[in-house]
Amino acid sequence: MRAIWTIAKRDFRTLVTSPLFYFTLFICTSVWSFVFLRSIQEFSLRSSRAAAMGGQEMNIHFYVFGNHIGLINLLVIFCIPAITMRLISEEKKSGTFGLLLTSPITATDIALGKYLAGFMLALIYIFVGFLFPLGTLAFADFSLKLLLASMLGVVLMTGVYVALDLFASSMTQSQFLSIILCIVLNVSLWFFFQGGQSSSNEVLDAVLDHLQFAKHLGHFVYGSVSTSSIIFFLSVIFFFVFLTQRVVESARWR
Amino acid sequence: MIEVKNLTKLYGERVAINNLNFKVRKGEIVGFLGPNGAGKSTTMKIITGHMAPSQGQVLVDGFDVFEQPIEVKKRIGYLPENPPVYMDMFVKDYLTFVANLKGVNKKQIKELVEKAIEKTNLQDVSKRMIQNLSKGFRQRVGIAQALVSDPEILILDEPTVGLDPKQVAEIRKLIQSLKGQHTVVLSTHILPEVQATCERIIIINQGQIVAEDTLDSLTTRMQGSKRLHLRIRKVNGVIEKLNKMAGVTSVQVNGQFMDVDYDGEENTVENISKLIVNDDAGLLELRHENIGLEDIFIRLTSEGGLQ
Repeated sequence: MRAIWTIAKRDFRTLVTSPLFYFTLFICTSVWSFVFLRSIQEFSLRSSRAAAMGGQEMNIHFYVFGNHIGLINLLVIFCIPAITMRLISEEKKSGTFGLLLTSPITATDIALGKYLAGFMLALIYIFVGFLFPLGTLAFADFSLKLLLASMLGVVLMTGVYVALDLFASSMTQSQFLSIILCIVLNVSLWFFFQGGQSSSNEVLDAVLDHLQFAKHLGHFVYGSVSTSSIIFFLSVIFFFVFLTQRVVESARWR
Repeated sequence: MIEVKNLTKLYGERVAINNLNFKVRKGEIVGFLGPNGAGKSTTMKIITGHMAPSQGQVLVDGFDVFEQPIEVKKRIGYLPENPPVYMDMFVKDYLTFVANLKGVNKKQIKELVEKAIEKTNLQDVSKRMIQNLSKGFRQRVGIAQALVSDPEILILDEPTVGLDPKQVAEIRKLIQSLKGQHTVVLSTHILPEVQATCERIIIINQGQIVAEDTLDSLTTRMQGSKRLHLRIRKVNGVIEKLNKMAGVTSVQVNGQFMDVDYDGEENTVENISKLIVNDDAGLLELRHENIGLEDIFIRLTSEGGLQ
């Protein structure tokens, strides 16, 4: 436990002091600010028009926050690799990985410590991203529960990205290769299981349907926190952290 | 303390080390000597658990490196060829981090970090970032890192590379001061280093041990043959006669200079000098040459064995 925390603390400090982190966060906040403001303006225009015409009241969560959450997800897909690419690749290249391998700690400690560092950093992006809808509380009235449910979904989804990217980072010494691999993997999550429903096998259809990340994240955004979705995300995270642990361990017997 | 049995490591088809067997006793300082690519680093990596052997076993304090790596790693401080330092950390933070990794008792960390800094003379740079340090300082940080957990065994892979002569002397003194309390294995291809620090030497070449003994007995064993250094004006006439002479094992000529290896008998020296003087070849110089570690090393690693 102590080893995990020691590694996580060190890596987090390195990541959080890297200029790339601030640069990517800057890009994110710029895009979010621009788009969020525009969609709020449009929403207020349309909802007042709808109210004037006696129509149904519009829900800010689906019209504004839904888009914003999609945008958080989109940017995080590209920003997390920029940070996590270093986690293991750099250590392998600079030789410090040998220090970890010859210390009295297990491969599991290394994988979990690194994961924790990456995840804590990713939470900063998510937190900053959700400041926008939270800030709206000051002048709009909406269901906070729905927002928190979506936040949980995004946090879990981000956890998957970090695990995936940690695994990618463990595969190579080159940061460049690592970041490319990370982005490809992150993006492919969204396409990989699409269109599986066309198969004629019912069981296969059900399995592929369950493997769709968009569907699970959608549940959270629509406010349903289902155990099956939480377990789905956690098991994907576990799977990739486990793979990373195997890669780290393999250095001992290769 | 360290027991290496039938250790073999293959990199694909290439044999890096082949059936190594040796023991290091507690408190000993052992030099691991060999030309580049002899398999020194590979052996050290296997002992520290960084790498697994293809065959064979390593026991450290009775624990198998492969079966109980955690127990083994607790006891070892390791300095690899390139000091494993994080460029973006401060020296003191880095050493504290390593102490934490090694599982040092929390209350002792501060004290041990201070001690390691003191031993390696890093006081002046302890608050600087490692990427701003010179190669020599980084190397010293690497040594401090190996020392910081106060391990029973220190494995140092070329510890003095990149240091200036004064620092080299300091590090050698430091290594000598560890004698008795720590077991030290150090690899190097710098011979005076071994002469200055080690009690026992293991010479390795092409993955095999070619000699394993104390420095003194290695030198005496090699002194079965002795060497005369000669300078003669007219070399050509005497070469053949010297070669044929009883007791002379080899003759090497380089211009006016001549190195003659012989069996060590005084009669032979007498005969050699008699021959040159009688031949009127113009003897300018005749002296005994001590065969040092350097010669032993070159002989062992080029001819492939003491036998």
